[in-house]
Amino acid sequence: MDMIASWIGNIPDFAVPFALAALGLIVIERSGVLALGAEGLMLVGALAGIGASLMTGGATVWALILAMCAAGVVSLLFALMVLVMRINQVIAGLALVFFCQGLTGLLGTLLDWTNKPVAGLQSLSLWPFSELPVVGKLFVQNPLVFVTPLIFVVVVLVLNRSVLGLRLRAVGENPQAADAAGIPVLGYRCAAIVAGSMLIGLAGAYISVLSTKMWIADMVGGRGWIAVALVIFARWSPWKALAGAVLFGCIEALIPQMAASGIRLPQYFVFMTPYAVTLGVMIWVALASRDSSSQPGALGEPFIREERR
Amino acid sequence: MFDTTNFQPLLARRYTLEVRQQMAWYWQAQVIALALLVGMLISAAILVSAGVPAGELLNEFVILTLFDSQSLRAVLFQAAPLIMVGLAGCLAFRARFWNLGLEGQMIWGAIGATAISLFEIGPPSLRLPLMMVCAMACGLLWALAPVLLKLHLKVNEIISTLMLNYIAINFLLHLVYGSWKDPRDSFPYSPQYKVFERLPELFDGVSLAVVLALVVALFVLWFTGISRAGLYLRFVDSSPGVARAVGVPVKRVILGTVLLSGALAGLAGLMITAGQEGRLTHSFYAGYGFSGILIAFLARNQPIAATVVAVLVATLFVAGRSLQVFYQIPFSMVQLIQAILVICVASSEFFIRHRIRRIQGGQV
Repeated sequence: MDMIASWIGNIPDFAVPFALAALGLIVIERSGVLALGAEGLMLVGALAGIGASLMTGGATVWALILAMCAAGVVSLLFALMVLVMRINQVIAGLALVFFCQGLTGLLGTLLDWTNKPVAGLQSLSLWPFSELPVVGKLFVQNPLVFVTPLIFVVVVLVLNRSVLGLRLRAVGENPQAADAAGIPVLGYRCAAIVAGSMLIGLAGAYISVLSTKMWIADMVGGRGWIAVALVIFARWSPWKALAGAVLFGCIEALIPQMAASGIRLPQYFVFMTPYAVTLGVMIWVALASRDSSSQPGALGEPFIREERR
Repeated sequence: MFDTTNFQPLLARRYTLEVRQQMAWYWQAQVIALALLVGMLISAAILVSAGVPAGELLNEFVILTLFDSQSLRAVLFQAAPLIMVGLAGCLAFRARFWNLGLEGQMIWGAIGATAISLFEIGPPSLRLPLMMVCAMACGLLWALAPVLLKLHLKVNEIISTLMLNYIAINFLLHLVYGSWKDPRDSFPYSPQYKVFERLPELFDGVSLAVVLALVVALFVLWFTGISRAGLYLRFVDSSPGVARAVGVPVKRVILGTVLLSGALAGLAGLMITAGQEGRLTHSFYAGYGFSGILIAFLARNQPIAATVVAVLVATLFVAGRSLQVFYQIPFSMVQLIQAILVICVASSEFFIRHRIRRIQGGQV
């Protein structure tokens, strides 16, 4: 019983990075830009968060904000590549990931930020829910866990209920029509890239500053790619992405639990599970629905006004 | 007085982009060379700010690595597995398959070869060829699942190959930290290969790996340029729909090409374990998957160009290692420089495809 209680209590800690990264990706991809760079931007957010925490001596909220800004700034490079230079979006996304892996690996060592512990945030308990049996620990979390659903609500409202969101989706579905209607296509795409990347950066900072509480090179460990898969799994719908993130949170939270409870499984096979599950989910999605109607219509296509078709 | 009709203040000038139909190849080459130069200058600036004395850069990268026969040999030795992953990337990309699973296929190739060595399968004289066959078979099999999933279920191969990489890495760790650990010490690597299981030096210190890589490069050149499969492949690459309509076996061509790509990556794994390390180590694959993609991209999927680019990337690897030793610069620098070069060259496409023209006042 104790085991189940602490497993449930650990789920949000693992689910939040997936959820925030997937939400950021959805914002970008709804504007019609194929974003594969989540892994790299999460690394940037993770390193910047730790760096800011170490430099400011524990101002964690500022560290998170700085991490978001750092990811936003690096994403301008991606925006330059896909919007201005019109590079193939797959190439640009991969190049961004490799660039960020190299950059964070280099800076983490040169600035000597590796393996330095940071304070993180004090966890907040939501009384009276925190007194509940079994699920009580679900309500004793760091504040960002409670903020995440609010971020989802705000982003969903903006995407689905505001003129801004309508235009963003129009740009993603049919940029030519949006352009004819006077919507600045590249401006909206650029804004979507920066805003989405800031959410992805926050996801990375969550892993390093609030969860692991230190920087280790390449610490995101494929979670960015899993988030990319989650977005496909969720058919670009934020709430489904949140559900998927919770599912992956459940799986990842199980790993330390199994080690602690003394179940003797080969540990490296246990580490494989998130990736194997991702693969399984991808296959399941492919088997279940062949339609691509919920995919943004212009996903992955550069908008080039001179090349009107 | 000024001719005011033709004079505009700088901010009032307007520019437009035009799509270029065709650019002569020597202009293209110049644009790409310029992009590479810009990339190298940015990289040099980063190296200098990371603490390498500016005067040492030329010395480190050019003179010490290319004009010294010993390190030239090291570069060639390092180039062999890079040529293999580069060719593997070329093949997969020609089939329009984003094979990001080169690392996973390398790992399985190396595991297959090590299994033959560890369980002493076959007589000593046949051991090395057997290891090569097994490495290729294992790499091929690890590429089988993603390509079948892509062809039959349209599962995104970028995600599936990357996930399979992580699975392969964890399996490798399971082996080298577990049952395959060298009993003599407690480091995470397998027992050393025997002498006849290692790729021998042929002449003047040049390893068999280098010769093998060149032979494979010629084979890939034949495969893509001359063979029937290569013709089909070009057809599929330029227009899959038309290719299917005229009776090209599209799925089989893609399947075969991607499997060949996996087999080459498996062989690259063997070249590192049986060539450089002499055993299966826990991180031998690091950086090769990315480099393979980069080499194929920079070489525009041309096998001969890929061989040349691979040698240049090998220079970067060797120089990166000595920077690591002498200036404590982490090896991620090599990856960063490669990424910068890719971004610069990819951006240069823009100038090849477009022309920037100034609009004269009034005639918009």
